[in-house]
Amino acid sequence: MRFLTTFAACLCLGAFHVQAKSTAGDRVVVFVPKLDAASEYSQFLDSLGTRGFDVSFEGDRLYDHAIVLSPSSKKFGSGISVSDFLSFVDSGGNLIVAASHELSDIHRKLALQFGVTFEKRGSRVVDHTSHLAATVNQSDHSVVAAKQFAQVDAVLSKKVVGGKPVLFKGIAHAYDAANPLLVPLLTGARTTYSAASSAARSDVVLTGMSIGLVSAFQTRSNARVVFSGSADLFSNRLLGQKAAGNTQFVKEISQWAFQEKSVLRSTAHRHHFAATGETPEHYRVNNEIVYEVDLSVYYDDAWHPYVASDVQFEAIMLDPYIRATLNRTESNAAHATYHGDIKLPDRYGTFTFRVNYKRTGYSNVVVQDTVGIWPLRHDEYPRFLSAAYPYYVGSLTMVLGFLALSAAWLWNTEPKKAKSKTN
Amino acid sequence: MSGSSAAEIVSKLAADYIDETPQKLKLIDSYMVFCVVTGLVQFLYCVLVGTFPYNAFLAGFGSAVACFVFAANLRIKNQPKERRPVLGLASRVPAFAEFVFCHILLHFVVANFLG
Repeated sequence: MRFLTTFAACLCLGAFHVQAKSTAGDRVVVFVPKLDAASEYSQFLDSLGTRGFDVSFEGDRLYDHAIVLSPSSKKFGSGISVSDFLSFVDSGGNLIVAASHELSDIHRKLALQFGVTFEKRGSRVVDHTSHLAATVNQSDHSVVAAKQFAQVDAVLSKKVVGGKPVLFKGIAHAYDAANPLLVPLLTGARTTYSAASSAARSDVVLTGMSIGLVSAFQTRSNARVVFSGSADLFSNRLLGQKAAGNTQFVKEISQWAFQEKSVLRSTAHRHHFAATGETPEHYRVNNEIVYEVDLSVYYDDAWHPYVASDVQFEAIMLDPYIRATLNRTESNAAHATYHGDIKLPDRYGTFTFRVNYKRTGYSNVVVQDTVGIWPLRHDEYPRFLSAAYPYYVGSLTMVLGFLALSAAWLWNTEPKKAKSKTN
Repeated sequence: MSGSSAAEIVSKLAADYIDETPQKLKLIDSYMVFCVVTGLVQFLYCVLVGTFPYNAFLAGFGSAVACFVFAANLRIKNQPKERRPVLGLASRVPAFAEFVFCHILLHFVVANFLG
């Protein structure tokens, strides 16, 4: 593969350069096997252009997003290795990787780093009951009509999940279901299996739901990576099919991958005394405080208030002493405010106030402050406790009783009738 | 005395107590009853309400118990000679002076411990 700097001009992208619709930036690099090959994906790439991306076909970390549409390439140009892609993602770059049945080792190695294990080279996903009717060879059922979408609202809208099946022609991958960062977006149906194209079917390993077709990965630093076992998914041939939902599906996964939607952020957070509203340098045990955090979500080219009922506040000193759900109190055009009335624990020490919000498909939001909680000074305790009044009275009556007895003892005169027995 | 019923025994006991006990000992006895009542009231309060100001409870209740013990000591030392047990400890200080001294000490401790 070569770097084709000149091709950028062919797509007339300068015109779309004006507005970035992604929160992460507007520079996309596309890896294609040959310059001509880009025309195979022109619908998809043009749609990126209309979404405000500056698409060009070469790479360095001059880019915010990368699309790898060259499954059979053995290298990505001179000097670009798997570790370059990893550091690209580590530094916040977003990546879409499309494979096919002839994918090369470099794709496989790259995918393995994200818990995605592609099947053996040459194997294909086949489904004999749900497929696109082949025009040439009627026994070729390798263009699978897949509709096992993941119920991840942040990535796939109801329009996709409840819509037409997605045509998929390519290779399956196994996904690590235990990996919380990896979400299979599209999987095989019960009738789907992965097999080598040869007649021998004995090497079937992946079947049904365990077949990953398209998977999404979000790193802890909120970079997003999408693996598709099919590069054809993005091709004009399959995007153009009337009966297929490819257009909407590809639009939504690329919007998600390029941080055009489901990007969460906290614009501000604050905590203060409930009574006075001021933020002290440190709190005292059992103080009543207010904690608030503002959350926004990005979609449709703008920041909107983020609406949820599961935002939690934690006060942590090794263990969480408090974990309380925050209530959404007000929303303006840009953010929603989540509010909590918190009573600090009866425990002094250095605490961390944290909102640790990680939900599938949304960017991770971690907001934290280190706050000291001090004990009361010796003269700040209440002097008299109402619960102890009976004891105060009890000890006082003992004093009075003692005085009374002493007085009676000292001024006692034995009655005259006293018997002679007494002393 | 033989053949007398329990009621007779109790009434004889009460009559003898009233007739034969010196007035000073009766004073101490009523003081001891007062101590028991004060202690019981505080204990019941603690059982009903809870042990929260536990130091205050200990101070109040302990005060009643200690006063009871001091009074018992004073009573022993002021019994008629023939009934007085041989203690083996002959104090040169009058028993009442000891009683007063212990009380002063006790109430200082209680006031400190009360919170």
